[in-house]
Amino acid sequence: MSATDALPSRPGSPRLPLPRTQEQMLTWVCVFVPTLALILFFGYPLLTIFWHSFVLFDGTMGLDNYAAIPSTPGLVTAGINSVVISVSTTVVCLLLGFPMAYALERSRIPGKGWIRLCLLLPMLAPSLVQGLGLLFLLGRNGLVFRWTGIEQDIYGYWGLLFSNVFYALPQAIMIIQAALRNADARYYDAATVMGATPRQQFFHITLPNCKFGLLSAAFVVFTITITDFGNAAVIAGNYKVLATEIFNQVSGQQNFGMGSVVGIILLLPALVSVYIERVSSQKQFGGGSENRIPLQPSRARWRDTWLGLIAHLTAFAIAAVVVVVVAASFIKLWPYNMTLTLANFKVKISSGYQPIWTTLYISLAAAVVGVVLLFMLAYGVRNLHGRIAKAVYLLAVLPVGVPGLVLGLSYIFAFNDPAYPLHWLYGTAILIALCNFYHYHTQGFLTMMTGMRMVPQALEDAAACLGGRVRHVMGDAILPVIAPTVLAVFFFLFMRSMVTLSAVIFLITPQLNVASVSVLHLNENGFVSQAAAFSTIIIAVVSVAMLAMRGLVHYFRPNLAQGLA
Amino acid sequence: MSLELAHVRKSFGDYKALDDINLSVGAHDFVCLLGPSGCGKTTLLRIIAGLLQADAGTLSFDGQDLGRMPPRLRNFGIVFQSYSLFPNMTVRENIGYGLRIRKTPADRVAARVDELLRLIRIPDMAERFPWQLSGGQQQRVALARALAVSPRLILLDEPLSALDARVRSEMRQEIRDVQRRLRIPTIMVTHDQEEALMLADTIVCMNNGSIEQVGSPQVLYDRPATSFVADFIGLSNLLPMDWLREFSPQTLSEAPPPAGDGSRWLLCVRPENIRLESRADGAATVGAVTFLGNLCRARLHWGKRELVVEQTAAAASVEGERIQPVIDARQSCWVAA
Repeated sequence: MSATDALPSRPGSPRLPLPRTQEQMLTWVCVFVPTLALILFFGYPLLTIFWHSFVLFDGTMGLDNYAAIPSTPGLVTAGINSVVISVSTTVVCLLLGFPMAYALERSRIPGKGWIRLCLLLPMLAPSLVQGLGLLFLLGRNGLVFRWTGIEQDIYGYWGLLFSNVFYALPQAIMIIQAALRNADARYYDAATVMGATPRQQFFHITLPNCKFGLLSAAFVVFTITITDFGNAAVIAGNYKVLATEIFNQVSGQQNFGMGSVVGIILLLPALVSVYIERVSSQKQFGGGSENRIPLQPSRARWRDTWLGLIAHLTAFAIAAVVVVVVAASFIKLWPYNMTLTLANFKVKISSGYQPIWTTLYISLAAAVVGVVLLFMLAYGVRNLHGRIAKAVYLLAVLPVGVPGLVLGLSYIFAFNDPAYPLHWLYGTAILIALCNFYHYHTQGFLTMMTGMRMVPQALEDAAACLGGRVRHVMGDAILPVIAPTVLAVFFFLFMRSMVTLSAVIFLITPQLNVASVSVLHLNENGFVSQAAAFSTIIIAVVSVAMLAMRGLVHYFRPNLAQGLA
Repeated sequence: MSLELAHVRKSFGDYKALDDINLSVGAHDFVCLLGPSGCGKTTLLRIIAGLLQADAGTLSFDGQDLGRMPPRLRNFGIVFQSYSLFPNMTVRENIGYGLRIRKTPADRVAARVDELLRLIRIPDMAERFPWQLSGGQQQRVALARALAVSPRLILLDEPLSALDARVRSEMRQEIRDVQRRLRIPTIMVTHDQEEALMLADTIVCMNNGSIEQVGSPQVLYDRPATSFVADFIGLSNLLPMDWLREFSPQTLSEAPPPAGDGSRWLLCVRPENIRLESRADGAATVGAVTFLGNLCRARLHWGKRELVVEQTAAAASVEGERIQPVIDARQSCWVAA
């Protein structure tokens, strides 16, 4: 036993040949396939939208589309309206969102579980049930007019504002909650010992530490609102906004160049919001260190009374607009003949229940394809280092910055072009599934990466050293730990695909319709109760999916409590 | 000699993790790779396991080249610091895992697992899941799992670092007993010098990606080769030649320095090898005295330097006392600066 330092150290010792192991091969395949798909189904379509913004009516190139913005009828008004409605929605969502998030995280108000449930409801339905619900409550054929005889015109600014707030508020609350959650009790203990009053603690500790959360919530709400299609189509009436205008330019007037210009305009706030989100996620409360002492809200009757009142009333309103749609679907002739019936579920439009089956098929396809590609990508990126890994990562998180409307439009440009090798996908359900998957790619990818990071390196190494092949490492070390994440991503993609509207609106054809768009069409054609019935079916499917997810994720949760000391 | 490493190098980008590592491990040796964090010891262990690929150099086991061999074919056992038991498998399934994927018949797997459960002395916990075990028990299971496939070499990656102090010393004893009994060559990574001194037949002391010294614990303590080893293993006073010439010329004549440039050498004097004589005209004063139970450790102000001295508690000096220190030159050695 000795160091063999007697051997002369040769400067050019033989270089070990790099073995092409199974693992390395797998890593490359896992990175290559999803990245190629990202380029084909996200990168390239997005580029076409920039390209088309320079293509003029006569087929020549130029900046005329941009120059024509001010003279295009309605476009300037729609732009101003969009900004006005989005800013108002953002302000209202922050004013209501902060007290509600604070009530949920930092107070002892009763019925928090109930409030959380109410906030969950808007996520289970397409972003047009708020508009639909408001019509059932406050419209010309609404409950309020029927009962009181007071008539108000709900179409327009106020209707849209309420719908948008009810839709976006739960998401704002979630972001602000996250910013408030990771506080360490010791900050407040230290402040108390130094003599700070509760009010001073609020302004010196709480508020500064969640300002990025508030900023992030503001940009997310702004982006959701300015790019949302569903509620605007249902309740905006003559109040024209960009989202509906882009649809009219493309679908109605076949003005693709102008449509892509508006699309690019809509891309800007979304990209800013993504950037803010990234920055704020790094600057929040303490980063959630392992040994933090969680904050126990103290008793404060006056505070909890007011917060409780605001939170419960708002949650009630958010739930009410959704619940009223479900209720109306079982009513014979809302609000005149309130007898219960299942007649509304006998759909009279030609395609019948076909859109529901199509949507189920699309959602399942999006979830299956998505989970497989995201798992591969997360596995590959994890085993990859350096510049390539960074580039792939960036591409994978980019889709969150692209609103559904813009993505849907880009799919028309890319896949409706007979010269594109993948043109044959145009008009198929599988293309809609892929569009939905890439619409929600970023959230799925980040969740999958988080799950992948939870797999202890030692577990993989142990399996390899004990004689495991790649499939053993995969099956015995990685999958048991990541299974709940895979399930969560699967159901996330499924549920989003069930309810999404803004991207698919461009891709449906008379032969290929999806449920959320059917609701829109039924409503436009005056079949309001049947629109409600369709919404109810969507809500039911998504609710079942969510319950299944909760159960399965809990069941497959591995117990990693192997912290030794 | 079973494991042989020659001229192994590894870089991560610009960072040299390992620089020209040469090492051989005997057939029944317990070798500790000892060094501060970031010295490359874990990188070296992962290269030996096959989990990392060296940039250059050769690895062989009993003459067989390991360079292109994936970890699963090396038949080495490995135990990690923590989180390495399969969370979805019971203790029995965890221990039998290596045998099962080698397609060993079920009855033989069961027999082997029972044998190992007795060896690690937790026979009644076979059906529990990892999270139902204490930290010490988990590490025993991890050790049993590594032993189950009768490995040619056992690799231990800081297996005791995550355990609390009492369990750690128990496990230390356990690992030592098992290794002595089975006589499987073992390489353990640790940053804990006490652990290394107690367990190892041979300590490989590493620093900055290179091996500083290889030797028995005794040799590393009594005859460190470099100032880093002298400093890292135990306490030492490192005294330059000029200082000795001025304040303790007698030591220089008793322990003649190596030839050549004197500034390249330091005399390593362990704290217990300085004797203190209480004298009013002594050259040094006693500084802070720390009581350690059986020993007292005193700081000594001597010739503008601060030295550390250990005495039995009974004979301890008191702070402020003037004393004459006497260096035991025969117990001291010259180390490269």
